Amino acid sequence: MAPSTDWDEIKRLAADFQKAQLSSTALRLSERNCIEIVTKLIELKLIDVIFTTDGKEYLTPQQLVKEIKDELYVHGGRINTVDLAKELNVDLSQINNSVSEIIRGKEVQLVSGYLIAHYYLEKVAREINEKLQLQGQISVGELTLQYDLPAELLQHNVLEKHLGKIINGKQDPSEPRTFYTEEFITRTKAKIRGALMGLLKPTPVTVIVNHCNLSDRLFLSLFDQLNAPGVLTGRQAGALYVPSCYTKSQNDWVMSFYKQNNYLEYDAISRLGISDPKGYVKRIFTNEDLTFLSTCVIGSQIKQQLETALEECISSKSYLDVVSLLPSVLTDTDIENVLDGLLKKSKSTILFENTVFSNHYIENLKQACMPMTKEKAEKVVKSGKYQQFYMEKQLNKASDFGSSHVDHKAERREERRRKAASGKGGGGTQGRETKTKAVKKHARSKQTVQDSDSDEGPSSATKKSQAQLEIVSVDDVENIIKETLENEGLEDLLTQVAEYLQGGLNQIGLTIAKETADKLLQDASQNRKQTHTSAQDKINILINDIKLYEKGIKSLPSDQQPQFVKYLLKSLGGDVLTEFCKYAANQCNLSVQGDVLSVEQRNKIINDLSDEFTKPIVSLNGTLSDQNMESFYQAVDVCLSEFGMILKKVDKKKDKLLIQNHREKLISELESCEEPALSLHLAVLAIFTIVTQNMLHASGRQVPIVISYLKTQLKEEDYERLLQWHELVTKFLTSSDENKSEFEEKLLQELPALKVMVQEIKKYK
Amino acid sequence: MVDESTRKTLSSIPLLQTKAGPRDKELWTTRLKEEYQALIKYVQNNKTADNDWFRLESDKTGTKWFGKCWYVHNLLKYEFDLEFDIPVTYPTTAPELALPGLDGKTAKMYRGGKICLTDHFKPLWARNVPRFGIAHAMALGLGPWLAVEIPDLIEKGVISYQEKTEQTK
Repeated sequence: MAPSTDWDEIKRLAADFQKAQLSSTALRLSERNCIEIVTKLIELKLIDVIFTTDGKEYLTPQQLVKEIKDELYVHGGRINTVDLAKELNVDLSQINNSVSEIIRGKEVQLVSGYLIAHYYLEKVAREINEKLQLQGQISVGELTLQYDLPAELLQHNVLEKHLGKIINGKQDPSEPRTFYTEEFITRTKAKIRGALMGLLKPTPVTVIVNHCNLSDRLFLSLFDQLNAPGVLTGRQAGALYVPSCYTKSQNDWVMSFYKQNNYLEYDAISRLGISDPKGYVKRIFTNEDLTFLSTCVIGSQIKQQLETALEECISSKSYLDVVSLLPSVLTDTDIENVLDGLLKKSKSTILFENTVFSNHYIENLKQACMPMTKEKAEKVVKSGKYQQFYMEKQLNKASDFGSSHVDHKAERREERRRKAASGKGGGGTQGRETKTKAVKKHARSKQTVQDSDSDEGPSSATKKSQAQLEIVSVDDVENIIKETLENEGLEDLLTQVAEYLQGGLNQIGLTIAKETADKLLQDASQNRKQTHTSAQDKINILINDIKLYEKGIKSLPSDQQPQFVKYLLKSLGGDVLTEFCKYAANQCNLSVQGDVLSVEQRNKIINDLSDEFTKPIVSLNGTLSDQNMESFYQAVDVCLSEFGMILKKVDKKKDKLLIQNHREKLISELESCEEPALSLHLAVLAIFTIVTQNMLHASGRQVPIVISYLKTQLKEEDYERLLQWHELVTKFLTSSDENKSEFEEKLLQELPALKVMVQEIKKYK
Repeated sequence: MVDESTRKTLSSIPLLQTKAGPRDKELWTTRLKEEYQALIKYVQNNKTADNDWFRLESDKTGTKWFGKCWYVHNLLKYEFDLEFDIPVTYPTTAPELALPGLDGKTAKMYRGGKICLTDHFKPLWARNVPRFGIAHAMALGLGPWLAVEIPDLIEKGVISYQEKTEQTK
């Protein structure tokens, strides 16, 4: 049976074989065919596949995504897309396309060419945590280098996300890129505290930081939490740490120095390492009354000391050298400042350099100079210098004034005023300049001068522009006070004091001069008043006389009258004119020499007179040669009214009295007269007056006319005698020297007879 | 000697164990079974590799085999009849494969259409007795011969494509 089963088996196997041969063959395509087919299909867009770079394989996008994910996992969650392209043999662009697909889900992200899965980040976080625990402090910067990941990503997606969960630590609030552990902070704090405790003097933060091997930032942020025994000067890296023990010792030093000396020098304070001495002092001595100066601070004690010293100085009427009382460190300006403050309170002192003089002391010096000043002032006035100066001043002023008045157009005037003002202003400053120049060497005296300037105000500026008349010179003052000051050992202040005094003394001198000048002027004006009345009186008398004489003339034959009138006007009218001239000259401040004026003098005066006077006087002058009484009177009237004078009314009784007086006067003159011609003249006039009861004014030349007139009025013998006399006199006057004495003898013999005759005529009349 | 693909093909054919000829009654069946199994395996291999190139069947005793074989050249399939007998000295002597259709058309053939196998085949076969069987003979002998001779013959115009052969497929 066995063989049969074998054959059956063989039969079956043969059948199997046939079956195997007949079964359809798997349709295997060649690679070439496949590529062609696939290309065709892709062309027809029937399938969507991706080539591998070697072209031997095709991938569907889904497959690629899957493979990428797999690769990502294999690489621990992080893979470069370029590496991915190499790894998967797929073109990078295809990878990138798929990557965009992949990162659509939240779990994977693409960071600068890296595909990064969330579990990778977690892993990183764990690693960071380990590192952090190990180092205590970690910065994103380091991590960036280590992991080659962007800081941004590390910070936000790794550190901050896992902080408190995977990472045990803290984020530095001031520096979000730094993370640290609690222990690290504590450790660092301890380190810093130790360092700060050990410091005794100000130390730059950088030194501390370098020593402790810390970062500036960490130091500064931790410093606040430390309650360190000291302070930082600033928040920057260049700040100083100042230990409180240092500050304390500083304060102690400053305090003790101040207690001892009652002043503090900024230099000394800054030498202690205090940068703002002023502010520092203010902080420390909040309750003290301090005075801050440019180089130091002084306390109230010094000030009080100074004050008492000043008071004493004032009360003792002496002076005080401030330098001896103040600390030696004070500069001149400081001393000045201190004193300014003190002296403001008490006005009775004057400061020269660093020496305070009581006003009394200065006053004494001044008094010493007063006699000299007075003397000088008077001298100035007497010499006329002052008046000249004053006049010039007045003239300048008047010209200024006048110029602005002449202009009627407002615009122009304004323009001119402006000009004038600017000009004046310029002059003022110039004047001042010259003055300051003179005292420039001495800053303080200049100041005082300027002060006085400002007191006087701007109106005085114009006056100042005209040079001040110097009455007292600095040298004069110096000479006087020199001795006094030298005795006190104050020679170096001599010039200054002298200059100061000179200013005041000059003013005094000026006022004295002014007073003196005023007095003189007053006298003059009184004189003027008197002259006014006296001139009026004189003129009145003269006019009256003239009128009376005119009356006398009227009684003469009319053909003779003009000569008399002429003479009358020439003599008495001239007198009237002279009076007017004198008065006018007086009014115009023109000096008039002598009582009687010659014609030339008169004319000169008339020319010099001011306009208001000239006109009437000129017209009056004109009438004198006119031989017309009426025009003369008119001119006189004009003059009188112009001069503010009145012509008194003629009193008839008074006239008579006047005539009598005149007659008596003539007679008495005649009595005492020894000169023959004059005697004849007087006798003739007296007889005329007696005979006609009128006065006559006649010259010697007119005597014969009068005699011939008297022929009718006199007795024959009297007339004969007069005639005889007259002949004798003419002979006497015309005769040569030899005969003269002979005639004179004769005349002198006859003279008493003549006088008697006049008396007789007077009697029988 | 043999190309790489041939060697690969060969290695995939199971080797036989039984050394028996048709005369050995009991053992021949065993040998025949092994032959069939090897052939089935070979055919299957060919099929899966899309390299099917023959049809073969035997008589009941398994001593006489006949079938067809074909070769594709320039996308044209040239088909030839195939027959051979199992020699008495089998497996020591290799079977003489014959393509009667090509008798007299090529020099590399004995009378009756038996193909002239290379010098290498016989020593190889001899070295591998009894492990080589019919399948090995096909793969090592006929396959390479066809691959060398048929394109040559077609070139010479000795054989031409016939529609008829296509139909047989």
